[in-house]
Amino acid sequence: MNEIIEHIKKRFPVYEIGEGPNGVILMSVEASRLVPMLTSLKTNHGYSILVILSTVDWLEDCKFQLTYIVNNPEEKRDLGIRVFIQREDAEMESIHTLWEHAATFQREIKEMFGINFPGSPGVDDQFLLEGWDNKPPMRRDFDTKKYAEETFFPRPGRETNDPAAYMKQKLYPDE
Amino acid sequence: MSLKDIFSPFTAWGKAFEKPVTIKDPIAERPGADRYRGFHKNDISTCIGCGTCETICENEAIDLVPVEGIETKDGDSGLRPRVDYGRCCWCALCVDVCTTGSLSLTNTYTWVEEDPEAYRFTPGVDEKPWDKEEKGWKKPEPGYEFYNLNRVTMEHLEPEERDDTFIEMVKGFSKEQAEKEADRCVECGICTATCPAHMGIPEYIKAIRNDDLEEGLRILYDTNPLPEICGRICTHKCETVCTLGHRGEALSIRWLKRYIADQNPSEKYKKILNSEFIEKNGKKVAIIGSGPSGLSTAHYLALMGYECTIFEKLSKAGGMMRFGIPEYRLPYDQIDKDISYIESLGVKIKYNTQVGVDITLDELGKKYDAVFAGTGLHMGRSTRIEGTDHKNVYQAIDLLRKITLGEEVPLTEHIVVIGGGNVAMDITRSLARLQKQKYGKVGIITTSLETEDKMPADREEVIETREEGAVVNPGWAPQYIEIENDKIKGLHVAQCYSLFDEEGKFNPQCNLDNLQFFEGNMVVESIGQGMDLSYLTEDLKHDLEIDRRGRIKVNEYFQSGIPWLFIGGDIIQGPDVIHGIANGHKAARGIDEFLFEEKKDTPKP
Repeated sequence: MNEIIEHIKKRFPVYEIGEGPNGVILMSVEASRLVPMLTSLKTNHGYSILVILSTVDWLEDCKFQLTYIVNNPEEKRDLGIRVFIQREDAEMESIHTLWEHAATFQREIKEMFGINFPGSPGVDDQFLLEGWDNKPPMRRDFDTKKYAEETFFPRPGRETNDPAAYMKQKLYPDE
Repeated sequence: MSLKDIFSPFTAWGKAFEKPVTIKDPIAERPGADRYRGFHKNDISTCIGCGTCETICENEAIDLVPVEGIETKDGDSGLRPRVDYGRCCWCALCVDVCTTGSLSLTNTYTWVEEDPEAYRFTPGVDEKPWDKEEKGWKKPEPGYEFYNLNRVTMEHLEPEERDDTFIEMVKGFSKEQAEKEADRCVECGICTATCPAHMGIPEYIKAIRNDDLEEGLRILYDTNPLPEICGRICTHKCETVCTLGHRGEALSIRWLKRYIADQNPSEKYKKILNSEFIEKNGKKVAIIGSGPSGLSTAHYLALMGYECTIFEKLSKAGGMMRFGIPEYRLPYDQIDKDISYIESLGVKIKYNTQVGVDITLDELGKKYDAVFAGTGLHMGRSTRIEGTDHKNVYQAIDLLRKITLGEEVPLTEHIVVIGGGNVAMDITRSLARLQKQKYGKVGIITTSLETEDKMPADREEVIETREEGAVVNPGWAPQYIEIENDKIKGLHVAQCYSLFDEEGKFNPQCNLDNLQFFEGNMVVESIGQGMDLSYLTEDLKHDLEIDRRGRIKVNEYFQSGIPWLFIGGDIIQGPDVIHGIANGHKAARGIDEFLFEEKKDTPKP
C-alpha cells in the first residue's frame, strides 16, 4: 500500500494524507489533477471499481468537498481521493469516461448540491426531485424546516406541548 | 381448434395440487441492513420528555403529548414524543440529539395499515411489532455528540492558595468560557419547574449566547432579586434535573447566572431594569429581617409602589447570607451589590432594631398596612450530650456571626466539630483558615452521625474541606465530651449504623463496641438551627395556627392566621436562599392582593 502512495505522491501534488473510517487512506489533491490521478490508479494500480462519490458542503469555508472512493478488487482494498472546489458556480470535471456509472452519481450531486459536471450524460435530468424549483436541498443554506412549513399543511388533529409550559400548568399553575 | 386446445384447461387443473414452480410474493421477510433507519423505538422509562427531538426535527414530524401513567414531576415533563410518519424523513437527527439516549430507530421499514391515522403514534407507548427489534440506527458512540458532554471547568484557587485566606475561591467564567458553557444548553426548560423561584433559566442562558447580558439581567430580576448571591451559593437544584446530566455533566447553571450578574455594573442596574421611576401607591409595609425572603419581598413590593421598611436586628443586612455563609464562598461586596440595588428602589433598612425588643410586632401591625416576617433560623441546636454546658463548647452559627462582625473568635490548636451539613463545613473551613493564620497549621476534625454517602453537605464542600487540611470523619454518634480540670480533652463517639427507625423517625442506633476518641480543646456543634419567635406575643400566637413540629401555618401566599402578618423564608420552607427568594416574591403578590382587596372593603383588623 505504501508503495502505491509513494508512487502517487511523486507523480501528483497530494497535499494531505489522512485516515478515514475503517482505516481507509484518504488523499487530498488539487481538483485539476483528479482525473489524471484516478486514471493512473485505475489503469496502473488495479483500482478498477468506483465505489462511491460523495459530497460535503463546507458552507462556512465556501467550499464543497468531493470524495471518490475507489476499490482494488484483487487486494480487496479501498482508497479515497478528496478534492475541494469553490462553492460558488461549483463545477467539477466529469469522470464518466473512466466509469460509466459515475454519471448517475454526478446527476444526483447536480440535483442535491447544484454542482455541475459538464459533459456528464443526463446530468441535467431530474433524479429524485420531480418538479423541484428551489435551492438544491442538500446545500446547508437550504432551510428544510421553512420549506416543510411552507409546503406541507399540518395534518388535522395534531397538537404538541412545550415541556416547560406544560410542567408549569401541571405543577405550579398559580405562580 | 385442435384437440389439445380443448383439453388444456383440464390439464392445468391437473397440476393444481403439485408444488408450484413460481415463488410466493412477498418472497420472504426482507430485513433492512443492520443500521437501517426504520420506525422509532423509545424507552419511555428513560425518556424525560425534554422535547429536544421535536426541536431538531426539520420536518415538524414530532409532537410532545401527555401519556397516561407517566407523571409530570421534577426532571420529567410527563410528555413523550409522537411521530407523524407522513412527515418523518428518517434522517435520525432526533436519535442523534436525544439527551437521555432513549430514542433509536429500528431497521423495520415495512408496515401496511389501511387507516392513515395509524401512521401517527407514540413509540414505546403504542405497542408495535418492532418494539423488541435490536437492530437499527442508534446514536454512534463514542464521541459523536451535538453538544459537549463535559462542563467548561471553573477555575478555583488551589488549596494551598486559599487555606489561610477568606478571598473568594471560585474565580468565575470569562466571556469565552461562559459562552462555551451556555452553548451546551438544549433549551428544554425542564429545570424551570424544579427551581423554587421558577427562574427563566433557558432564557437567560440564551441571552449569554447572544451576548445580551442586559437582557439576561432583566430575566434574572423577573424572579430573583439576588443574582450575585444566588450565582454563588444557590443550592442549584436545577442542575440536579438538567437533561444533559443523563449522559454527561449537567450545565453549570449557577455559574452562568453569576456571570450575567458579574458583568453588569451596579450603576447601570436601574436603567437596565427600568426601575428609575416608580410611582408610590401610598401603602406601607414592614419587613422583619433582611435575609433573602425579606429582601425579596421588599424588592417586589417596592417595584409595585409600596413603601418598605426592613427591621434588622444586626448592624448589617443579608441575614444568613452574610452571617452564615463564609466570605470565601460569598464575598461581602457582592452581597452589598445586590442589597444596595434594592435600597435604591426606596427600601429603608433600620439596623440594630430587634422586633420584640426595640419595637413590638403589634406596633408594626398598627403603623404599617402589612408586615412580612422572615426571621430565619439563627439559634444553634445542641446535641445536649454530657459536657455541652462547658464554656468552650460553641454553636457554629454564633462563631460564623462573630467572624463576619469582625469580633474575636475563640480558637484552639485542636478543634472538634459535630455536624455533617453545609454549615458544619462552613465553620470547619473558616476555623481551619483562622488556625492556619494563627498557628501555621490546621488541627480540626469534623464528625457527623451520617456516613459519608448520607452526609447532607454538598459533595464538593466535603472534598474542599479535606483539601484544606481538615479531617472529615463521618459515621459517629457523639457520646460525651471529656473534661479534665475544667479543660476539654476531646469528644467520645460510638459508631452510628442507622439513623432512622422502620417508621422513618429519627432514631440513631450506635455500636457501643466500636468507640473512638477525637482529641480537641474546643467543641463546635453544628447540627441544625432553630427559630426564635419571641417577637410573637401570646395574644398573637393565639390567632396563629402552629403545627405539631412548631411550624406556623400559612396559606399559599404566606399569609398567616393574622391577615396582616405574612411569614416566609427558612422558618416556613427550606432552609435555603432560593426558597426564601421564592417565598418573598409570592408573599409580595399576596400582600398586594390583600391590600388591594382591603382597599375595596373592610378596614384592617
